[in-house]
Amino acid sequence: MKKRRIPLAGVAALGVSTLLLSGCSGATGSSDGGDVTLDFWSWAPNTQELVDVWNDENPDIQVKYTDAGGGKDSSAKLLTASRAGNAPDLAAVEYTTLPSLIVADVPLDITELVTDAKDAYTEGTWEQVTFDGHIFGMPQDVGPMSFLYRSDKLAEWGIPVPTTWQEFADAAKAVRAADPNAYLASLPAGEFGFYAGAATQAGSKWWSIEDDTWTVGIADEESLAVADFFEKLVAEDLVNTDPLLTPEWNAKANSGQVLSWPSALWSPGVIEGVAPDTIGKWSMAPLPQWEAGEKAVAYQGGSSVIVTKNSDHPEEAAKFATWLNASEEGANLVLTVQNGYPAAISGQEDATSSEPPALMPQQADYYTLAAEISSDTIPVTWGPNVNVAESTFTDLLNKAIADGTPWRDAFIAVQDVVVKDMVKAGFTVSNK
Amino acid sequence: MSTSLATRPPVTGVRRQQPRRRRRRTIAPYVFLAPALVLFVVFMLVPILYAAYLSFQTYKLEGGGILGTRVQVFAGLENYIAVLTDPELGAGFGRLAVYGIISVPLTLGLALLFALLLDVQTVKAKRFSRIAIFIPYAVPGVVAALLWGFMYLPGTSPFSYLTKALGWGTIPFLDDPAIFGSIANIAVWGGVGFNMIIIYTALRGIPTEIYEAARIDGANEWQIALRIKVPLVVPALVLTGIFSLIGALQLYSEPMTLKPMTNEISQSWVPLMTIYKMAFITDDLPGAAALSVVLAVGTVLVSALVLWITNRKSTGAVS
Amino acid sequence: MTAIARAPRSSVRPSSAPGSRPSLRARLIPTIILLIGAAYCLVPVAWVFSAMTKSRSELFTTFSFVPGTGLWENLSALFSYGGGQYGMWALNSLLYAGVGGVLSTLVSAMAGYALAKYEFRGRNLIFFTILGGVLIPGITLAIPQYLLLSQLGLAGGYLSVLLPLIISPFGIYLSRVYAASAIPSDIMEASRIDGASEWRIFRSMALPMMVPGMVTVFMLQFVGIWNNFLLPYVMLSDQESYPLTVGLYTLLSKGSGTPALYGLAITGAAISIVPLVLLMLFLQRFWRLDLLSGGLKG
Repeated sequence: MKKRRIPLAGVAALGVSTLLLSGCSGATGSSDGGDVTLDFWSWAPNTQELVDVWNDENPDIQVKYTDAGGGKDSSAKLLTASRAGNAPDLAAVEYTTLPSLIVADVPLDITELVTDAKDAYTEGTWEQVTFDGHIFGMPQDVGPMSFLYRSDKLAEWGIPVPTTWQEFADAAKAVRAADPNAYLASLPAGEFGFYAGAATQAGSKWWSIEDDTWTVGIADEESLAVADFFEKLVAEDLVNTDPLLTPEWNAKANSGQVLSWPSALWSPGVIEGVAPDTIGKWSMAPLPQWEAGEKAVAYQGGSSVIVTKNSDHPEEAAKFATWLNASEEGANLVLTVQNGYPAAISGQEDATSSEPPALMPQQADYYTLAAEISSDTIPVTWGPNVNVAESTFTDLLNKAIADGTPWRDAFIAVQDVVVKDMVKAGFTVSNK
Repeated sequence: MSTSLATRPPVTGVRRQQPRRRRRRTIAPYVFLAPALVLFVVFMLVPILYAAYLSFQTYKLEGGGILGTRVQVFAGLENYIAVLTDPELGAGFGRLAVYGIISVPLTLGLALLFALLLDVQTVKAKRFSRIAIFIPYAVPGVVAALLWGFMYLPGTSPFSYLTKALGWGTIPFLDDPAIFGSIANIAVWGGVGFNMIIIYTALRGIPTEIYEAARIDGANEWQIALRIKVPLVVPALVLTGIFSLIGALQLYSEPMTLKPMTNEISQSWVPLMTIYKMAFITDDLPGAAALSVVLAVGTVLVSALVLWITNRKSTGAVS
Repeated sequence: MTAIARAPRSSVRPSSAPGSRPSLRARLIPTIILLIGAAYCLVPVAWVFSAMTKSRSELFTTFSFVPGTGLWENLSALFSYGGGQYGMWALNSLLYAGVGGVLSTLVSAMAGYALAKYEFRGRNLIFFTILGGVLIPGITLAIPQYLLLSQLGLAGGYLSVLLPLIISPFGIYLSRVYAASAIPSDIMEASRIDGASEWRIFRSMALPMMVPGMVTVFMLQFVGIWNNFLLPYVMLSDQESYPLTVGLYTLLSKGSGTPALYGLAITGAAISIVPLVLLMLFLQRFWRLDLLSGGLKG
């Protein structure tokens, strides 16, 4: 049967391919009578309201918003659409996935289109969208890392808020002693961003590039020390590795069995959504440090808006992206309507005079502290295959946790996979 | 099939008809088939061929900038070698086998049991039971997995709530090895009703005289069920078995939905998840295509094997 | 082959002799087992409807089957989300599943009829090639289908979801089995001698005979399309044209810094089950799965 099928298939393929040649190729962004309509994919809450503000002010450049589902999945969808020439004019993209999309030829180099936007951002933020001097996106929100914790419980048990990771370990121990059902934190292998941030904070560079040659540092000394540290915490049952934001974790956050979330400045909105019973019981502090007295933190999460190569109206699209993210009006809307922490300096300044997030009405200095934290961040270069690194990291570290094998071995294995993947793709890697 | 052809008039009868009519009759089946064929070619065959073509391609970097951009080049068997030598694939098939060994017999066994019980005359509340058991079929797999996920997680599980209240602690539904049972359970839950209806309708097709004769010979209901009803619905069982098996090999949405809730499920827990990961997360479309081809060929082989075994067995039993 | 044609008996079977009446226990046990089975199948459904009544904070904190106090809030939140998108998604699902189901049933019926009642060159080749389609997982096809439809300029529209789902190897297979058993060849032959055209024979004779089988195919296709996620997810880029599955998914899948909208998704899931259950209750008196049972030898 298989053999006889071939001629039929061949004829069919031929027929369809002629159909294909005559078919028109998909084009995005329709323009009629000089007016332009731009397609925009994102997932941030209430983005439609921001778009409405723009549409009212700019009748000639209308934006059509689509909720494309969050983070990783939407970048897969974007990639597929781009391959077919159907990508929207604009799309929100997490900083970690931006490099892989550049390699896949999705975003447009908008260096010439956004020349006046640079001053709206800090150096560290601008770095996240700059590759070899070329700009590939407009930063929308950023996630300088911070420490969200149950101030009521820690105060009740007399546990000081940790300022170093060693104090974090002590606090974790004290929590276990105070309530055997509670953990200070859950740090599962799925939190690639957290571990990458902790390693960055320790001085590791998971990816770096010099003269067109990449260096991968997932298994450098600093990272392995970080692996050892958290392995010990898990082995001693001081923190657990339950996945985050599952119904289970949410229930525990509500009932006071999860007492902190070392993550980033966007975390209060998330907790408010899943643990509404605990409003007023949380506070934010700077992320613990590896050395006492240090201040710099890494980024976790955050996204930028790209203009795609498929766009027929790149200038208009860049104009919208600039307004949405770099203008004072847009950055203010990101803060007040999307409830994000704006990437633009003006938005961060607006924040200092606004009310603290709904989760912590009692912490009046929230945004002052936030501004302090975001003024001292460590610039990060994400590599072209963060997607591979993240999925491998999660799988291998989970396996190490389940089998009780050393975490550093998992880190070394991840490094190996990441380097091999880059070499296979054709990159020059110094430490292969 | 042969019976329907045998009832056609002899060739001489056809020859007497006008040639135009005969020609119409030769063209007619192709006309009736045309919509299906066109759609099949465009939406299945061409995509399959395209996937097969892609499986021999790969992406390579072409200079320019620090990140460069990629171009598609011929790769030969590179993707197949990479896919087949990946130890995770073997492990994935192993997990699939464990899942299949639990879910397929359980689905069929329960479906057969419920169908036989529905066919027992004295049973009450038949209509209610039949509809209730069939309802899960209407629930999308993703939603089903989400519902069961809530019922598995210790913090939200009603079952663990009860065991905790009794002082037995929580049930580790989502840890190894219970995870296999938990995932199989979702499939069984969703599939029992459909298979039950198939078997039940096959049972209703058996002439009651056969049972009467058996009763007169002194057989009880239990014996009638085992010795008469079950052998007569074997074709229905084989059919449901094959489809359950193909369904099991395509396991994907249940573990995918449960994945965020447990560390036990990796990105490549079963082969279809690996395909998803390659196609949508790590952007290795050619690798995904190669694995798809491997999986499709594997499915054909397994189905053929099962058909061959059951054919041999059932013809053996008949003769 | 003829064995398949047997219809399910609707008449009550003659009861066994009064003397051999089974004991009470023997009569109760089967009923009890069936009711346990029914309970097993209803538990998650009961759960989702109870979860639907819970407010945001009750959802993760109260015992599963205790009804909450947030039903009204959840419903109004669901139906006002994104300017009434949920209702839009429901209508889209209905459109995809309804139109797709009908078209698929017709195409399958015609193909099945041709394959069952005509002898022609390539019949088995066509049949087995189409049947082989059952073996290909949809996820394998989604991306190539998307690239192809993009080339045709169809990706993103309603047609891109409708067209690929019309072709159903299983539906064609079932139609062939049913047509073979339900349509007597001698009646076709008699009509031919009376001068009826092939199309007329199909339309006014064969089609009515195939209705019970077609209801089954429609039902299977309707449920299949209604529950399909991956194809619309890959194809569609405008949330106005999302079906329920993709819409609910976007509620659950959010980026870092945005909580998944569990409450909305659960309420949405519960509501989305209702029309399907109603449809099944309605169709179950028409549809016939027995055509499947003898099918394997066909």
